[in-house]
This record gives sequence, structure tokens and C-alpha cells, in this order.
Amino acid sequence: MRLAEHLPVLPILLPLAAAMVLALISEFKRRTKITISVVSAVLQLMVAATLVVQADGVADASPAAVYLLGNWAPPFGIVLLVDRLSALMLLLTSVLALPALVFAIARWDRVGVHFYGLFQLLLVGVNGAFLTNDLFNLFVFFEIMLAASYGLLLHGSGKARVRAGLRYIAVNLVSSSIFLVGVGLIYAASGSLNMADITVATSAMSHNEYTLLQAGAAVLAVAFLVKSAVWPLNFWLPTSYGVAVAPVAAMFSIMTKVGVYSLFRLWAIVVPEENFPGLETEADWLMGLAMLTLFFASLGMLAAQDLRRMAGVSIIASTGILLAGMSLGSPNAWAAALYYLLVSTLAVGGMFLLIDLLERIRQFGADLLAVTVEAFEAEGMVLPEQEEVGVAIPAALAFLGMSFVICGILITGLPPLSGFLAKFSLLVATLNPVEGAVQWWHWLLIALVIGSGLTGVITLLRLGIRLFWVPESHARPHLRIIEAAPVAWLLSLCIVLTVAAGPVMGYLERTVATLSFPHDTARAVLDAAPVPSPEEVR
Amino acid sequence: MWLMLIVLLPFLGSLCVAFLPSNSKNWEAWLAGLVAAASTVITLCYFPTIASNEVATLRYEWLPTYGLNFSLRMDGFAWLFSLLVSGIGILVVLYARYYLSEKDPIPRFFAFFLAFMGAMLGIVLSGNVIQMALFWELTSLVSFMLIGYWHHRADARRGARMSLIVTATGGLCLLVGLVLMGHVVGSYELSDILSSGDVLREHSWYLAILVLVALGALTKSAQFPFHFWLPRAMAAPTPVSAYLHSATMVKAGVFLLMRFWPVLAGTEAWSYIIGFAGLITLVMGAFVAIFQQDLKGLLAYSTISHLGLITLLLGMGTPLAAVAALFHVLNHATFKASLFMAAGIIDHESGTRDLRQLTGLRKLMPITATLAMVAAAAMAGVPLLNGFLSKEMFFAEAAGFGSGNTWLPTLAVIAGALSVVYSLRFITEVFFGPVPSGELPKTPKEPPRWMRFPIEMLVVLCIVVGTMPGVTVAPALNLAVHHMLGAYTPEYSVQIWHGFNLPLLMSVLAFGFGLVLYFLLQRRYGISRLDKVPLLHRLDGQREFERVLLAVTSFAVRVEEKLTSERLQPQLFWLLLVTLVVGGLTVWRSPIEAVRSPIGFEPMFAVLWIVGGVCAVAAAYQAKHHRLAALILMSATGIVVSLTFALFSAPDLALTQAAVEVVTTVLILLGLRWLPKRLTPDVTGVKATLRDYRRRIRDGLLAVAIGLGMAATTYMVLMSAGPTKLTDFFIQHALPEGGGTNVVNVILVDFRGFDTFGEITVLGVVALTIYALLRRFRPAPESIELPAQRLGDIKNVAPWQLARRGYLAIPAIYFRALMPVLVLLALYFLYRGHNLPGGGFVAGLTLTVALVLQYMVSGTLWIEAKLRIRPHQWLGSGILLALLTGVGAWLFGYPFLTSHTAVVNLPLLGELHLPSAFLFDIGVFALVVGASSLLLIALAHQSLRSHRRHFSGKPPTLRKRGAMRWS
Repeated sequence: MRLAEHLPVLPILLPLAAAMVLALISEFKRRTKITISVVSAVLQLMVAATLVVQADGVADASPAAVYLLGNWAPPFGIVLLVDRLSALMLLLTSVLALPALVFAIARWDRVGVHFYGLFQLLLVGVNGAFLTNDLFNLFVFFEIMLAASYGLLLHGSGKARVRAGLRYIAVNLVSSSIFLVGVGLIYAASGSLNMADITVATSAMSHNEYTLLQAGAAVLAVAFLVKSAVWPLNFWLPTSYGVAVAPVAAMFSIMTKVGVYSLFRLWAIVVPEENFPGLETEADWLMGLAMLTLFFASLGMLAAQDLRRMAGVSIIASTGILLAGMSLGSPNAWAAALYYLLVSTLAVGGMFLLIDLLERIRQFGADLLAVTVEAFEAEGMVLPEQEEVGVAIPAALAFLGMSFVICGILITGLPPLSGFLAKFSLLVATLNPVEGAVQWWHWLLIALVIGSGLTGVITLLRLGIRLFWVPESHARPHLRIIEAAPVAWLLSLCIVLTVAAGPVMGYLERTVATLSFPHDTARAVLDAAPVPSPEEVR
Repeated sequence: MWLMLIVLLPFLGSLCVAFLPSNSKNWEAWLAGLVAAASTVITLCYFPTIASNEVATLRYEWLPTYGLNFSLRMDGFAWLFSLLVSGIGILVVLYARYYLSEKDPIPRFFAFFLAFMGAMLGIVLSGNVIQMALFWELTSLVSFMLIGYWHHRADARRGARMSLIVTATGGLCLLVGLVLMGHVVGSYELSDILSSGDVLREHSWYLAILVLVALGALTKSAQFPFHFWLPRAMAAPTPVSAYLHSATMVKAGVFLLMRFWPVLAGTEAWSYIIGFAGLITLVMGAFVAIFQQDLKGLLAYSTISHLGLITLLLGMGTPLAAVAALFHVLNHATFKASLFMAAGIIDHESGTRDLRQLTGLRKLMPITATLAMVAAAAMAGVPLLNGFLSKEMFFAEAAGFGSGNTWLPTLAVIAGALSVVYSLRFITEVFFGPVPSGELPKTPKEPPRWMRFPIEMLVVLCIVVGTMPGVTVAPALNLAVHHMLGAYTPEYSVQIWHGFNLPLLMSVLAFGFGLVLYFLLQRRYGISRLDKVPLLHRLDGQREFERVLLAVTSFAVRVEEKLTSERLQPQLFWLLLVTLVVGGLTVWRSPIEAVRSPIGFEPMFAVLWIVGGVCAVAAAYQAKHHRLAALILMSATGIVVSLTFALFSAPDLALTQAAVEVVTTVLILLGLRWLPKRLTPDVTGVKATLRDYRRRIRDGLLAVAIGLGMAATTYMVLMSAGPTKLTDFFIQHALPEGGGTNVVNVILVDFRGFDTFGEITVLGVVALTIYALLRRFRPAPESIELPAQRLGDIKNVAPWQLARRGYLAIPAIYFRALMPVLVLLALYFLYRGHNLPGGGFVAGLTLTVALVLQYMVSGTLWIEAKLRIRPHQWLGSGILLALLTGVGAWLFGYPFLTSHTAVVNLPLLGELHLPSAFLFDIGVFALVVGASSLLLIALAHQSLRSHRRHFSGKPPTLRKRGAMRWS
């Protein structure tokens, strides 16, 4: 076995090794720590890109790589699975991680200890959750991810962070217990933890076993729904994401997607063969939750009084849209949902970084003044005439302004960027349901998808005007390239997604085509043979 | 490719301009002008192609599976609009070059201007309707930037925001409408849609599509009831108004109606929706325009009115009316652009736009005055000017609409009369009357030669078209009409003289009434002194808009307050409730059939579990009142669990569980001291209300339900025999392939070694997190006091003194002696782990217990001065060792964590079987030691920090050997 064959495990081992080396190094050797972190992130990016290329080279529903940890044949050992979906998610993670990390170098790493180590550990958890094909192992990686996220959320300490952080921890601990109960039930039903094995086992299950499996999957789904922030399990999100330091909040935008991703995987486990997408009742439930989430997120956006909350709520809205796309069940809808997943993760990540920069251009008291002025304007008060000569904007402020506009366009799904393409493809998918005619709730979904964009526009307009246009002057933005570049990188990726929508969507369609045959994939996973021992070779 | 350039050039130009320095005024203008000129010239070059009835197309695949292509399509109709947009663009650039002040940020203006032009050309030339919607929203966005160009002014901000919200909402409706349209037709390509009129009109979604498309068009074209944003948008610099509100933005709405006229028009619903919106807007706009005191306000309302006229014509649904509409679009664009520019010049030169102040400018700026008067005359529909021609066509259509109706011609004449009135007002009040003597902010004079040039061009156009329509506009108009209406193209002729007929009579009547009305209003009514519009001033669209926006926002805030909460309790309540419901429903849907019956009864075991259960319930009950008791009770439950493992022949788990219980309980006990005291009701004076009791009962019931649910679930699992595939395999293969007789340990370090690997990582992360959190953490002031339990024995001894010399001197000696024993025990557990109960985890915990004891009895500083623990190093190297062990398998060509057994012959110990799993276990051991000692240190140094201020006396100076580096 050459190194290339160990690629699937590298997204886990690289950040872990980096984190542990970082733990050995004194906090004072900051430069070394930065170097190690960045090198690790870049290597992960390269590995993930290679994996995407590899995954896309497979013709049928079989996975690109099945990595047997400990060389035990499935389902007895733990298995890592690289298919188009997991490779894509890995790439998305590393593409987001690199700018967040670079952004942190500018200032945020220094407000507490262990930032770089915890950051790499978060990557271990996220990457592992994407890669593993074993339910209990998924739990383990969830725990790594969550434990690291606790640390990162509390990074910088302070009253607000501790308060929100402890709530975040409590909710996640409870949902972890629920996760464990679910895994236990599924194990009791199927006698296995290997997802592929469970998938195959469903066809030969007794009544009791299948009921237990379903109960387990349902309970497990609750844990995933907490993570993906579905209403009413999302109260914790806006506050905790709002208090986290910018690079952490940006990185957290992938975490709800881990929940959604796990739901995708769980779906493939419990679905009976010859009945894909199947699970009509579950899909209806999920659709209901998704629409409620979207509805409350739309209202939440309107009610948001600051950008952080707005960004947090928009994550919830994106969950609503993702789950709606998922429960529509058609391949087109899944592909559209995945495309939306890419866009919303990058855009919200960029938004969190940007908000941090924007908060610095505000002058003391400017906020209060802006709100007052707004109130006067709303009451139709006539303000003193100002002369008709425009105010010149310094280049740095112009950059921030343009980035804000692009971010807003992406998040609200306005034309012409990729957010729009995502919503458009979802609309098309909604109008082409799997079976039968367009129902009333399809119309409701369309209204909600469009409406959530609109409330986003209204709120971003209000907040943007308050930030950029009302104040007479701004604090001179000290825009460092190390902070501007990450924002620019994320936004340009979204623009690339717009221009290259065809190829990207092609990849996603192939992804969904693979997901549509979970039983074929599962059999392929189980067929993976361990490396023979020397005796066996002889 | 050239087609692409028409749309692409403005965007490229926009980018270039944006990066020019702000003081290179002429460069930007030149660049913008050249771009506009280039687009115009390319459009003109397409004339031969278009004239031969060809359609130029260009298509790139963009999102092919969803039917979205980047597709450009130029037919005669699009060609005409493209020419209009780019041609007037050149003139506005020239005008803006002189209009904007030196101090204005010029690059921003021209960048957005060009982007707007590009977006507008994009709408016009789109061959794919989704792409059209895309450019449509882009015009809304860019116009927001243009209207808010002077964003330091409140009216600009408000106007920009309102126009964006209104037009963007309409745009989203349009998008849905177009998606539906494409769904019905089966293609989003414009050419396919244009050829499927019958399919669309007969489809059950027709009405929805019509309403949605109409919402898009009517908001954009400022039609009633969405007209209110347009006057507010006048806060924009005049070049912007001249461009947006004459030839482009507002024309996009009517362009859309025209584009889809062949497929959507001709039904009753179309006539009602479009026709009535147009009619109301036509009359209302004209009426309100009369009473404006702001020059640009007058032009804004007249624009609304003229757009209403066009919409009405389209709504009539007859091909001839559509021709008239198209013609009027051209005419309106020319005279309205020139009027806006003239208004801008007047504003620029005199410093005001107030009609009450302006007077007699004819003498001071004669050329501009003449030009503006000609343009205004065209607006009023004076013969020999272009406005007259299309108005005649309108009158003809109105007269011929339906059979024997009189109300439409009457309203048409009234609207015509009103337009005469506001045109007259514009002319007489600005240019006639006494020459202003000092009351104007500036003394007006003629503007620079080239600033006036665009107006001259447009006015010449008005006259040329008005006098010689047959040779000037007719060929282009014919082409456009042919492509717009397709098979519906009617016979018509554009000429000045149609003979004495009804339309002419109506024109004469309109002029007559208009003149009379104007003088009546002027003399009797004192129109110049009015500051609000009679009758209609209550109908304030803007106020309603703000009110609705506010209502929606406050509704959102209320809902959010009611239905979400930042507090933990409601979140946990929902979480558990959802779990209960979801799990319960699944089982309820297909109930479990128990297949086994309980076997036997073990009294000892039952007693054990009753004890454990009671402890657990009691712990839950005490959790709120007495934390220490709750903690002890919880650990009792833990011991019961540990005993259960032992009973069920899992000594490994029992040992680990016991060790974990000990260490966690001790660590929590150490931390417990820093939690704030519970405030009882007699301290706070807050009594529990009935609501509180209700909530507690509710929560209690949920907790009981969850508990019962878990119990029932467990029972279900136990009663249905599950598959034992994995278990059998593990038992069979532990020794032959895993190389260990202790199955549990082999599972942990080999079969599922990756899980263990992950779990020790979790432990490491948690330790790092807690350390990071507690490192600089100061306890709350109220918990700094020594707890009551400790006040008796050690009064006035500062904690660092305790920390230096220890808390209990005699036990300290014993424990020091015990230390080597414990270390040895830990090593023993580590060594035998693979075959007998033990392993790295237990070994690590054992060593931790030894360390905890030393810290507690000997004092933090004492022990740290003697023994330097490096938790980070233990932790890091532990995981790294495990990792490297796993990676070691790569050298032999096996996947990560594949175990190997090396047989080594050591001189003293003889032949040793060293499985790689053993190295892995050492890693686990080191990690556990590192993580738990890190926690210990973080907690131990709490008391050192917190008391520094509290006690008088010298703080510790024990810095040697790094003992204080944790504080």
C-alpha cells in the first residue's frame, strides 16, 4: 500500500497530528504554531481535492474508496467511506477552514490559549463525521467536533461567551445522549454498527427488528436535527454563533451541515430497497419541520437587530431550505439542495468574517445615532437639507461595502449569484415532484423560499444602510490583507460556483445518482476485502 | 459574439471605471461614453441582419439540466430597445460629465451607471426568461446604488430603500411567474415560450402566471398601486433620473408586458389586470402631477401617468393598441429624458427645483428654455412633435375600444387635458413671468455647451419624428412591431395627417379643456400656493408602505419573543418532548411483539438495582437543593453500574467504570466549591407562583415520561433477541487474530481501536478546553469566601500557605509513601491489559488518582515544586504515540491501526510478544494521565488565584521550577 491508498484517512490524521504537535509547543512560539496550522490546512485542502477527483472517477454506485481501519473486514471493523458526497464535504470543509484560519492569525488567535490546536481538532471531528461509515464511530467524531466546538466557542472567554457557551454545551450533551440511545436501538435491531451492513440487513429484518430500527433512526434523527438547527430545536444557535469570535463562527457554519449530511446518510440506511426515495411519511414530517424552520427563520431575520444575529438566523433558514430539498426526494431536488449547501456554507462563513471587519468601522455611539436617525425618518421628520455632493468612500470601505453586498446577494438568493441559482433549481425541483401533481404545500414551499429571501433583503438593507450610509463618518478601516483575503477568497469561490454552475451541478447530479442506490453502494462496501496477511498470500 | 459584447462591455467598463482614481473625472466619462457608444454602434451594425427578418442568437450552456442557459437573442423588438437603452446612455453620460460636481465620487457613479446599462441591455436581449429575471433583479440592485448615490441625504436613503424593496419584491414574483411559465411550456427559452401562447393561455396556471408577471411589471413600471416609489426615487442625481425614468428602469416593466404580449394578452383577466392598472395610473398620475411644486416631482408623476398610458394600451389587448404602446415608449423616452435633463440644468444653475420660486428663466437661459418648451410640448401632445403621433393612436384606440362605450374615450380626453395642464405649468411657471431678482440661491445662466447638447439631440429627434415619421421611425418601428406581435401584426400607418376624424377631435378637446383648466386652476384655485394634492393626498403610498413594513417587523419580533427563547430550559423541554414524540410515534405505528419472556429472578441483583435507581432519582431530586448530596448519590449509581458490569462478566468495564467514577467525582468535588450558593426564597424574597408550580409539574411529567420511555425501550430491546453477528465474531477472533484473551480489550484496541482513538481525542480536547477556559477564570465574588465547612479548622491561613505546606501533614506522609505503589499498580494494569482486565485507560486513571491525592494533601505549590508535571506533553505525546502506532502499519502495507505482534528476545526477560496494540495502549495511558492532570491543575490553581486579593499578606513568590506557570 502506497501513501495514495491511505488518502481516505488523512483528513482525520493530518489535523489530529497537527493538533497534538501544537499541544506540545509552548504558546509563546506563535509563529511555529501558525506555520504548522496553515501547512496542515493546505495539505487537507490538497487531499480533499484529490479525493474529489478520485471519487468522480467512479462510474457506478460503488464508492471510490473503502478504507478498512485495522484491516478488519466489514462489518466487523470500522470503515471509512469516500464517495462523491463525502469527498465534496471534505473539500468544502477545507476550503472554508483555510480562510477562517488565516483570518484568525490577524488577531483572534491571541485572545485565549489553544486556539490552533482546538481548530485542528474541530477539523478532525468534522472530517471524521463526513468520512465514517460506522454509526458509533460517527458518534465519536461528533463528540470530537462538539468538544472542540465548546472550546472554540468559549475562546476569548468573557461573560457573554460563557453564558451562551454553557447553554450550548448543555443542549449538545443532551442531544449526544439521544444520539447514543438511537445508535443503541439500531444496534439492537440490526446487530451491526456498519451503515452499509445495516442497509443490507433491513431487507431481511423481522417485524420487531424493523420497528426497533425505525425507532432508533427516529431518535437518531432528532439528534441530527438539533445539530442542523431545525425549529424548535434551534434556539441555541443564534446566540451562541453570535458570541463566538469571527473565525470560529465562520467555521461553525459547516457544523449545521454536518447534521444535514448525517440525515442524508441516515436516510440511505433505513430506506427499504426498491423504494427510493421512499419513506413518504418521514418525508412529509421532515417537510413540515423544514417549512416551519424556514418560516420562523424568515421572521427571525426580520426581527434581527444586528448582523451577527442575522447571519445566525440565515444559517437556520438555510437548514430549512436544505431539509425541504431533501424531503422533496427527487434527484433534482437533492442536487439543488447540495448546491445550496455549498453556497450557503461559504457565504455565511464569509459573512461572519466580514461582520467582524464591519464592526470595526463603526464609531463609538454611531449605532445609537443611526437607529435614532432611522426612527426620525420613519416618522417622516424632515431632517436638515444636505448638499448634493456625494461622499467619497475610501478603498477599504468600498471593499467592505462591495463584500457586504455580494454576501447579502448570496445569502438572500437574489440574482445573479450562486444563491439565486440554488433557489432557482430548487423551485424547478419543487414544480417537478417525484409523483403526481403539484400539491398545495409545494406552493407554500415556493412562497416560503421566496419569502425568506425577501425578509433577508429587507433586514440586510436596514442593517446595511444603518452601517454604511447613515453615519457621517466611519472609523478608518485598517484593512489588513490577511483579513481581507479570506473574505475575498470565500466570496470569489461563490462566484466561481456561479460561473461554473453547470459542471458543479453535473458533479452533484452524479453524487445524487450514487445516493439513489444505497443498497448497491452498501453491497460494494461490504465486498471490500482486507489486505491479505503474508501467510494468506502464500 | 458581437451580441455578447453589447451586454458584456458595460459590465467590463463598470469594473474598469471602479478602479480609476477618484480625481480623473474626464477619464471616467470618456470610458463610459465610449462603452455606451460601442454598444450603440454594435446594435446599429445588427440592423441589416434584423432588417432581413433574422433573429441573432447566442447561447452558452449554464445550468443545462435545469433549463437555464446563458442565451442572448436579438430580434427587431429587442434591437429597438437595445438601441434606445444604449443610445440614450451616451447622451446621459455626456450630460452627467457636466452635471456632477468635482467633489462627487465620480468613479462610483459611472461604475454603477454602466452596470445598470449592462443589466438593462441584459433584460432586453435575454433569450432565456430566467436570465431575464436575473438581469431584472440586477437592475433593481444597481438602481438602488444609483438612487442612493448621495446617501448622506436621508431622502436618498429612504428613496433607494423603498424602490429596492418594491421592485425586488416584484422581481421575485416575476421570477416565480417565469419559472411557472417555463414549466408549463417545457422550456425557459424565450423563442419556445413565444411560440406557445395557446398552451399558456389554456393552462390552469395561467392566472397565477399572469398575476405574478404582472406584479413584476407593474412594480417596475411604477403602476398603481405600486407607483409610490418612483417620486421618492427622484432623490437620485438628475442624470440617474433622466436615464432610469425615461428610457430604462421603468420601461423594463412595459418591455416585459410587450415581450409576453403575444402569449399572455387577449384574455379577459389580462385586460382587467393590466388595463385597469394602466387606466388608474394614467389618470391619477396626471392629476397628481398638476399639483407638484417640485420640478422633478412633476416630471416623476407625469412619467407615472405616461407609463399608465402605455400599460393601458397594452391592456386593451388589440394589436393596434400594442403598436401605439411601443411607439409611445420611444416618444416618451426622448421627450422625458430631455425634460429631466432640462430640469437638472435648471436645478444646477438656479439652485432650486421649487416651481414657486422659479420664474422667468426664459430671459436668462433662452436656449435651454426653448428646448425644454419643445420637449414639454411633445409631452403635452402638440402636433408636429412625436408625442402627438402616439397620442393620436391612443385616442383612436380608446375611441374604438369595445362597442359603444363612452367612458374610455372620455377618460382618455381627461387624461390628455391633464397632461396639457402639467406641461403648461412646467413651461409657464419656470420660463415665463418676471425675471427672478435675487430670491433664487444662484443666478441662472446658460449651462456649458456640451451639457446642453444631449437635450438638443433629443429635441431634434422629437421634431424630426414628429414631422417626418414615415422616413425616420417607421422602418425601425415596423421591424420591432413585426417581431413583437408576430402573427398578430396589424395593418397600420404612422403619419401626421389622418384626416378629420374622432381622434383629432379628441385632441382638440383635450387641448381646449387643458387650457381652460390650467387658467382656472391658476387664477381661481391658486395652484402655486398648494402644498398638498387635493383629494388624493390621503392616499399616501409611501406612508402605507412604511406602516406595513413596521407592522411586519414588529409582528416578527413578537413571534420571536413568544416562540423562541435564549434560555436553556425551554430548549431542553422541546428537545426531550420531540424525542419522546418521535420515538413514541414510531413504536405506536407498529407495536413491538415481545418474543421472549423474562427468565428467573435474582434477588441480590434486584436489590442492587433498587439501590442504584433510588440513588439516581434522589440525585435528580437533590440536584437543585444540595449539589454535594446529588453528586455523591450519582456516584453511588455509578458504582451500582460498575458492579452490574462485574456481575455480567465484564470485569474490564467494571474496573474502568469504577476508576472513572472515582476520578470524575473527585474532580467535580474540587470544582463544586466554586459554584455560587443556592439562594433560598427567604433570602431573595421571591416566592414561587402558581405558574412556576405548573411549569415544574409539566417538566416533571415530561421527565417521568422520558424515563418510562427509556425503560420501556430497554425492555423491548432485551425481550427481542437481536442478531449476534458481531459478538460471535469478536469472541472467535479475539485470540487468533487479535492476539489477546481479553475480548473487551481487544475490541477496544484492535477491532474498534479507531473508536478508542477517537474517544481519547475527545478526552484530550475536553481537557484542553477546560484548561483554556479556567486558565484566566476568576470565580464569582460571592464564592471567594471560604466555605462554611472549612471555617472551623483553619482560620486566617491564606490558601497559598496551605498550598505550600499542605493541608493534612500526617496523611501527606502516608500518601507520599503510597505514590510509588500506585505508580507500580498503574504500570501493572497497563502491562496486563491485553490479556486480563486492565489496559491503558485504567492505568492512566490510577496514576491520576495518585496525583490527585498528592495535590489534595500536600498542597498545590508543594507538589509542583517537587514534581513537574507536563500535562500538555503527556497529552500530546500520548495521542501522537497512538497515531504513530497506527501509521506504523503503513510500512507493512496495511491500513491504519492494523495490529502486529513483534516477537523480541530480550536478554533478561526472554521471549516477549509485543503487540502493536500495546504501544497504542501506552498512548492511551499517557493521554489519560495528561488530560486528567491538566484538569486537576486547572482546578487546583483556581484557589490560588481567587484568594490573592482576599487575604492580606505577601503573595507567593514560588516561581522556581515553573510551579507558578499555571496560575
